[in-house]
Amino acid sequence: MRKATWISVSIAALAFVGMVDAAYVALHSSRGFLLPCGIAGGCDQVLNSPYSKVLGIPVAWFGLAFYMTTAGCALFAFFGFEQALCLSFVLVSAALGFTMYLVYLQAIVIRAFCDYCLLCALLVTLIFVAHLWSRNQFRGEEKFEP
Amino acid sequence: MNRSNDKKPSSSGRKPSETASRSLAKPLTALAALVVGAVAVAMFLVNRTGSESSPSAASPTASSNVATPDKPVITTEGWAKGNLSAKTVLVEFGDFQCPSCALARVKVDNLLKKFEKDLKVVFKQYPMPNIHRNAMVAAQASEAAGKQLKFWEMYEVLFARQNEWVNVPDALTFFLKYAVELHLDVEKFRQDMMDGEIRNKIFRDLLEGQVAQVRSVPSFFLNGRMMQAVKSDAEFEELIAQAIRTAQ
Repeated sequence: MRKATWISVSIAALAFVGMVDAAYVALHSSRGFLLPCGIAGGCDQVLNSPYSKVLGIPVAWFGLAFYMTTAGCALFAFFGFEQALCLSFVLVSAALGFTMYLVYLQAIVIRAFCDYCLLCALLVTLIFVAHLWSRNQFRGEEKFEP
Repeated sequence: MNRSNDKKPSSSGRKPSETASRSLAKPLTALAALVVGAVAVAMFLVNRTGSESSPSAASPTASSNVATPDKPVITTEGWAKGNLSAKTVLVEFGDFQCPSCALARVKVDNLLKKFEKDLKVVFKQYPMPNIHRNAMVAAQASEAAGKQLKFWEMYEVLFARQNEWVNVPDALTFFLKYAVELHLDVEKFRQDMMDGEIRNKIFRDLLEGQVAQVRSVPSFFLNGRMMQAVKSDAEFEELIAQAIRTAQ
């Protein structure tokens, strides 16, 4: 299997988990229910804080849109449109910056952590790392081209 | 990502013209399947969260505890007043920012005066932060006061002076002021408000209310049965009197 295929599958799988995570939070919040919170225990504080919405829309919906686009890019790359990974890389870089800001808000401003947000941050980081890894791999391949 | 693609055919060996004409159907179909799958899993998890602790999943150890839509299982744990060993228990799910709950407090107090020896009233937290911005922090304040054995005192103040703090951006300032007035250890009060144990307690009450189909506040449960479509205060009082008579 080509490296691009492996990377596409990995990114699509991570994006799938991210979609489930974001959709779960978005569906819960749309019903007005609080989420059961496991390890971190601060989901209610984080998801009801003023930072939980952008332009009146819960951040979870933006997360869902991001993961859908990322999954789309990965699938396009899987089926041969490998340039789609470039778009995905730009998107993931921006998302990583935003995610770091959200983690900062949880740690310093709200002083509570939300499991689902932390999982989201982890997934964005892993997708970013997958992109970096793939870039290094392809650069390595280029060196050996005739 | 793959810079070599711009210069030579893709690694699958297809020509650029073939790449251009390649069907978009496959990736779009795969994406649709992935999205549908993810949303389906999320919906399953959302529904499972409710059903895990739903009345139907509760252990039917005694026939009187079997849950039905009309009679969900409600525990009597919580902040209680009245005769704590009374057989008739009125459970209220309330939100400190809700004006109706402030009015209900007066009615409940009147009931307790009337049925002093036969009624136990339990208050459970049901803050609705989506519509009441300071409800959650008020619930935390009441629980923090409870840690210093002054829950009911804070309950009185929060409801009686609701107008002072409902629309302010920093309700905590008011709650700290109330803590001083109630002679609480303010530093401990402040720390307890942020305590995870208190948040979890509020969350447990909320979850119990959600499972019991609480849709508005205040919601009352008389001996575990939700009081619905009660038309007047007189009817409300009569139902309680009837429950007390039955218990005797």
